[in-house]
Amino acid sequence: MSEGYARENELVSVESNVYDRAMDVGIALSIVTFVVGMLTFADAVPLGATGTELINFFGLLLAATAGGVGIVAVFSYANVVPVTSQRVRGVAFGLLVGLVGLTVAAVALPVSLATMLGLILLVEAGLLAAGGVASRLELVDTDPSRTAGLLAGLAFGVIGAITGAVIVGSLPGVPSAVVGVPLWLLGAVALGVGFGALTIGPREDLGSTLPPALILGVFGATIATAAIGVGWQWAPENLSGGFTGGSIIPLFVLFGSLLTSWSAAKCRADFGARGRQYGAFFVINLNAFLMVAVMVAIVTYVTVKGVSWAFHGFTIGALSLLVVLTPPLVLTIQYARAPAGTDEWHTAARQFFRVIPLAAVGSLATLLLGIFVTGTTFEVPYQYAILVDRSTVMLDTAVSVTPSLQVGNLLVIVSGALLFTYFLRRYGSLRDVGTEYEQLSSVRQGLPAAIGLLGLLSLVYIGIGPVLDGLPIGIGVATLGAVAVAALALAPLGPLVTGEGSLADRAHRNSQLLNVGLLGGVALLTAVVVFEWTAVSNPRLGPVAPVGVVAVIAALASTCAAGLASRARRATDDTLRHRILGDQVTLGLAAAAGYLTLIGLHVAATSEVPFVLGPIEIGIQGSLSWPAVLQGAIPLGEAPGGIYPAIVGTIWIVIGASLFAVPLGLGAAVFLTEYAEQGRFTEVVETATNALWSTPSIVFGLFGAAFLIPRLGDNLSLLAAQLTLSFMLLPLVVITSREAIKSVPDEYRDASAALGVDKWKTIRSVVIPAAMPGVVTGVILGVGRIAGETAPLILVLGSEINATNAIDVLGGFAFTTSPPFVTNDALLTSSAALPTQVWAIITAGVSGSASKGWATAFMLLVVVLSFYAVGITARTYFRRKINYE
Amino acid sequence: MNNQIGDTDTETDTNVSTDSGTDSGLGATAGVETSTTTTAGESEEQVRDEWTDYRFDGPSKLTVENLDVWYGDDHALKDVSMEIPEKSVTALIGPSGCGKSTYLRCLNRMNDRIKAARIDGSVELDGMEIYDPNTNLVELRKRIGMVFQSPNPFPKSIRDNISYGPRKHGEINKGLLARLFGNDDSEKEAELVERSLRQAALWDEVQDRLDDNALGLSGGQQQRLCIARCLAVDPEVILMDEPASALDPIATSKIEDLVTELAKDYTVVIVTHNMQQAARISDQTAVFLTGGELVEYDDTDKIFENPESQRVEDYITGKFG
Ligand SMILES: Nc1ncnc2c1ncn2[C@@H]1O[C@H](COP(=O)(O)OP(=O)(O)OP(=O)(O)O)[C@@H](O)[C@H]1O
Ligand SMILES: [Mg+2]
Repeated sequence: MSEGYARENELVSVESNVYDRAMDVGIALSIVTFVVGMLTFADAVPLGATGTELINFFGLLLAATAGGVGIVAVFSYANVVPVTSQRVRGVAFGLLVGLVGLTVAAVALPVSLATMLGLILLVEAGLLAAGGVASRLELVDTDPSRTAGLLAGLAFGVIGAITGAVIVGSLPGVPSAVVGVPLWLLGAVALGVGFGALTIGPREDLGSTLPPALILGVFGATIATAAIGVGWQWAPENLSGGFTGGSIIPLFVLFGSLLTSWSAAKCRADFGARGRQYGAFFVINLNAFLMVAVMVAIVTYVTVKGVSWAFHGFTIGALSLLVVLTPPLVLTIQYARAPAGTDEWHTAARQFFRVIPLAAVGSLATLLLGIFVTGTTFEVPYQYAILVDRSTVMLDTAVSVTPSLQVGNLLVIVSGALLFTYFLRRYGSLRDVGTEYEQLSSVRQGLPAAIGLLGLLSLVYIGIGPVLDGLPIGIGVATLGAVAVAALALAPLGPLVTGEGSLADRAHRNSQLLNVGLLGGVALLTAVVVFEWTAVSNPRLGPVAPVGVVAVIAALASTCAAGLASRARRATDDTLRHRILGDQVTLGLAAAAGYLTLIGLHVAATSEVPFVLGPIEIGIQGSLSWPAVLQGAIPLGEAPGGIYPAIVGTIWIVIGASLFAVPLGLGAAVFLTEYAEQGRFTEVVETATNALWSTPSIVFGLFGAAFLIPRLGDNLSLLAAQLTLSFMLLPLVVITSREAIKSVPDEYRDASAALGVDKWKTIRSVVIPAAMPGVVTGVILGVGRIAGETAPLILVLGSEINATNAIDVLGGFAFTTSPPFVTNDALLTSSAALPTQVWAIITAGVSGSASKGWATAFMLLVVVLSFYAVGITARTYFRRKINYE
Repeated sequence: MNNQIGDTDTETDTNVSTDSGTDSGLGATAGVETSTTTTAGESEEQVRDEWTDYRFDGPSKLTVENLDVWYGDDHALKDVSMEIPEKSVTALIGPSGCGKSTYLRCLNRMNDRIKAARIDGSVELDGMEIYDPNTNLVELRKRIGMVFQSPNPFPKSIRDNISYGPRKHGEINKGLLARLFGNDDSEKEAELVERSLRQAALWDEVQDRLDDNALGLSGGQQQRLCIARCLAVDPEVILMDEPASALDPIATSKIEDLVTELAKDYTVVIVTHNMQQAARISDQTAVFLTGGELVEYDDTDKIFENPESQRVEDYITGKFG
């Protein structure tokens, strides 16, 4: 550290500064060439680009880099994100210099991008050679080891051998063998040994710069002289494929830039131990970046291919979007409110970063509000081409946000339920706070009774529903319930608004009433909605549905209570009261969210009739129209459609398979690790699970088709698919859960046992929570695998292309009076699924629509990534719970 | 229930080592006493039964008779017999590795959890044999709490660590339904948490961060948390294995005060390496020496002022160990 520090300061001396800056430019150039190499490899820029196109390309790169470097520089200058490392600054400087140079070169030289890349490689070669030689001649103060090391020597030996073989083998007009020995072998040996010797022989500074410089020189020269140009092709006789310039040049460039970054980084850090460390750092990072880039490229590729078809005619109402936006809004508010860490983190800069997400979500919400205020539709039109009967047809369409005030009940339910659980989790307790009114305790006892009664009534309806048709029970119960809920919800407001003392005093005293009123109201209304659903009636008084109206009133009342509590809270200093009022606020908000959810559920329960409130309409059918994704196939229709059944199918398959596999797997893992005697038996089971996990999926498919299907009604079915995939998922869940449970330290078990807690409770409350992140990781990996599994599905589920209807699993449940009491026909029918649909479309050839295939693949990615997101959120949640960060 | 007790005739033959009569057949007599080169510089002598024959007034809480423990072939505890009086502090001292923790773990059958351990002998709690095959281990450990040598908090919040035992025993109910209908035991829990943490001298440091993960506490704080967690279950006997090993003098003295205070209602058995601490807080002291034998057990004053055994005297005055 001290030595490094001294050297960094010493760098102020003139000549070493030039040396270091030159090497920084070398590193920066290697990064630029790496990026350009990847872009050309992905065909994002043509290698043949010249003139304006080339200038624009480098100009764009320069602008992006200058922007990035500039922002960081500004923040660094303002001490928000201080960047003090000379090396980071050096690389940033090098990036700017390098890109300015390249842009200028693009303007000045009339060459193509390929030639330009060749020239850059040559420049890099020159820089490396100069760096090595300058160090060897002791012009600069460096710290090289005696040799670059055996490993580097071997690596360059291999590279040299390959280069030798290719050069000698592809030279025209030379005999292919001399005295029986193939010439390319001689070339390989000669260059391999030569390069190895060159690396190992001289001192480290030469040994680790000259070989890469030579290789770069060869690559650069070949490309720059167009010996391998864009149109170049090489088809070796004994190889079925061939190489083209278009793929060889980017490979050369990528490889060259890796070499440059390694070697230049070594020079920059003055060789020796620090040099090796810095060189390895760059190579490893570029490599990791390459991996990530490959994955991003695959996702982007599919997205680009599929997105235009998938979003054909996408329309949504602004209000619906606002409903979707509420949970993120609440989260970002929470994030902005709670700055992490100690006081010094509360600086302006931190707060700035904390409010950024809120600002983003907030501005989006304002834009949406603007849409209804102005009443104009926001539209992004676009055009894309599809193939119809081998001829290209252009389609015009748009993505739009309308000022519609219709909202689908599903959106309301999901958002409301999310908020409800969120607030309820944050809610502590209001027990023994405030005045306990006498009537309250009777309400407290009466409520469960009333709810129980409603539950009973619902059961009666499930049993003998039709008999009771025609009796005015539905409307009576609904009205009574609604009135009771309204009373409960409004009760806390009275004492809050009037009475003695300050608002805070009143709120504090009011705690019990609030607790019972709000939560009791939500519980009672839930029971009423469940009753409505079982009674299959839509109780109305004239045009008014009492349940919905009361839910709205109650939601407003709860919000009011929360608001008042929040105002009172701001005015108190007392910590205890602060906590109590805080709990009241969360409780009020939770209740409001709960009532909103109930409105959505009410609409769902009372069939097709939307719930209308002024201009706002909440119905089964919202304002979201997404034909490609949310509709079944439209025979001969103009607009695209037909992914929806497949999405629903895939989601049900994943849910069903996880429902089978996760509890079973976790249970098996618990048994094997905690209860079974460790020995032969567990070893055998372990080996068997591992073997099962490596079993090819088609084998599972065959098993499903030959064994399950005959036993499950003899046709392709969803249930068979779920079971088959759950067998595939099971071993992974067992393996990962076992590992996770094993890695829970024994100290926890001992501690629990010493407190007199039995084994099962210990497992449930200590071992499984501590193992949960590992278990979830396993499930995430497994779900990723089964969601995209195709082969077994083709065998057990079939491969429908043009499904017009999604499978209705929930609606398929029917209750019977004879065993098995619950049946579900939907589970026993076949369904579309995303992977099988992709496969079917692609194999259907011309008659299938390739665009639809891509869009289906895109949606498959989206679905899988959504499952990932859910899994990763769950894992983060469990990790947070057991870690102390 | 004394079929497990060794068949030594302890009434007579007091010059013979207590080991000589056991039927363990493991050659225990060839152990420490007869060897001429003892590892830690102990002088040679033979243990006499009357050294460990401590008599006291009042009932005995725990009665240990002829307890032997083996870890595989390693005879870790040799024929220990001692009676622990109720509502008192008993200190166990001795050099490292002499079997103090092993002995302590025998008292609430935590040794059962070690696969390699084999235990022979009898331990009675209030006259009830705890090594009875039908003993309810859960109930036993509820009544005999333990603080381990190395702190082992759960990866849960500080509050949950304390309330874990009572919750699992069903004394505190904090389920969602209970919370919704306002009959949860949050207040009771809060009281319990505060009382336990105060007793363990930790309250002032953590009262603002009860919801933080316990793994984020310092080593000494974790140690006190484990004491508090043990107290929350309200056991009758508390076994403490060096509860103050990672504490500063102030926290140590608080723990010592706590132990003294606890002794009014509880029976405390405490292992310590700190002679002064043993002398300060305990009513009687048992000295174990290398090889896993109980050498002397008597009033603390007697042990520290006038021990019978030369080895004990050497150990206490710091000549070895
Ligand atoms: N789980 C175990 N498996 C095998 N041997 C053990 C085990 N626990 C303890 N031992 C052995 O038993 C002997 C007594 O150990 P014990 O932990 O009781 O010593 P101690 O007196 O508590 O020492 P310290 O003061 O260092 O904590 C030691 O020789 C030890 O190696
Ligand atoms: Mg110990």
